[in-house]
Amino acid sequence: MDKIYNSVVEALIFSSEDPLSAYDIIKAVQGIDGEDIKIAPEEIEQCIEELNAVYNEQKFSFRIKKIANGFLFATRPEYAKYLGYLSSEKSKRRLSHAALETLAIVAYKQPITKPHIESIRGVNSDYILNTLLEKKLITISGRAETIGRPLLYATTDEFLKYFGLYKLSDLPKPREIEEIMKDEDFIEQKQKILMNLFEEAIDNQNIETNDNTTE
Amino acid sequence: MYKIKLEQFEGPLDLLLFFIKRDELNIYDIPISKITKEFLEYVNLVKMLDLETAGDFILMASTLMHIKARMLLPREINEKGEEIDPRAELIAALLEYKKYKEMSEELLFFESNQRKINFRGNFKGDEKISPPEYEMLLKNISVYDLAKVFKKVIEGIKVEVIHEITRINVTIDEQIDYIFQRLNENRELHFLSLVENMKEKIRIVITFIALLELIKAGSIRVKESSNYNDFVLMRVNHG
Repeated sequence: MDKIYNSVVEALIFSSEDPLSAYDIIKAVQGIDGEDIKIAPEEIEQCIEELNAVYNEQKFSFRIKKIANGFLFATRPEYAKYLGYLSSEKSKRRLSHAALETLAIVAYKQPITKPHIESIRGVNSDYILNTLLEKKLITISGRAETIGRPLLYATTDEFLKYFGLYKLSDLPKPREIEEIMKDEDFIEQKQKILMNLFEEAIDNQNIETNDNTTE
Repeated sequence: MYKIKLEQFEGPLDLLLFFIKRDELNIYDIPISKITKEFLEYVNLVKMLDLETAGDFILMASTLMHIKARMLLPREINEKGEEIDPRAELIAALLEYKKYKEMSEELLFFESNQRKINFRGNFKGDEKISPPEYEMLLKNISVYDLAKVFKKVIEGIKVEVIHEITRINVTIDEQIDYIFQRLNENRELHFLSLVENMKEKIRIVITFIALLELIKAGSIRVKESSNYNDFVLMRVNHG
């Protein structure tokens, strides 16, 4: 693929609200410049790597992220604090443990029925499933061909976006997990997360006290 | 009464895993009687605090007691002639649950990383003016969305309530005549048998008022009946 298309890809992704797939990018290029231009999805990925290399080199505050089967411009984590101060995105609440647990089961066992989820968790999961449906993290993908034809649940692209995954197979394999949990890097990361939570809690408190003093 | 929320455990399996981790027990060789005892103590606590979640815990408690009882009996043997460990099913469930619990921690890690990233936004201003093809409009709509809208519409339909009122023409004078007529037939008359055949409430009320009028005028007398919910009417014979 000609290097000139790097800018085309950049423009297409820049103007897209939802993750833009390699397929859509190729379709746009071929629609304008003719079907005989052959571009493989791997070439698009290569192109994005090149673009990101430029952004890195120039210390741009953003880059293109591979997410939910597509590409999307995203800010670098370093600026999260400042962005969170102004945007309401920050106020979006974290998922509860019960929600994460249920999501993990749906993600790995999908499509899966409610009774199956409940038998693994050992608790009633009506409420949690409804919450996840409302948040569009899971969806109903059909009905099982078993007695009573129960509904089947599966994860959505929103799920991939929420957890920053490109495709479902990017989820760590169950066997890997034991290794990851033992991994020192993970333990370090986990401590970092705890620190993040702690700092956020302090930040929120400061904001609240500031609000109180201004009132 | 104030409520304490026992949030640290997502369910009975979570609680069992907690015991196993805390006491460094071997998950493949759980001391059932010890763990059953501790579990029951916790269940009693939950029962007092939160009946809604207690159900799942009580189910697990009965499973544990069932296993405990089976442990005391001679072991059952499967087709291959191997002993069946009564705990096998519970262990399998625990391991399965543990796997997903660990994965949920992994998801928490992804979530935390992802929260630090903001995507390009503020697209609300440049929505395309011409409606795209129908397929595009339906792009992000799942069966669940359709079902939700359908439910909302169905529930939104207001049922018009129509009350029909038919006037029942009944007067006190008529009922006074009716009471005299009945009393001519019988010397004594039970109030309940007087109103027995009246279908409309208003007719009974008017009859009762007529009755009061007659008592006031001294035309009839009333006496207590053996049945306390009833009374007996009698005509007063003048002269």
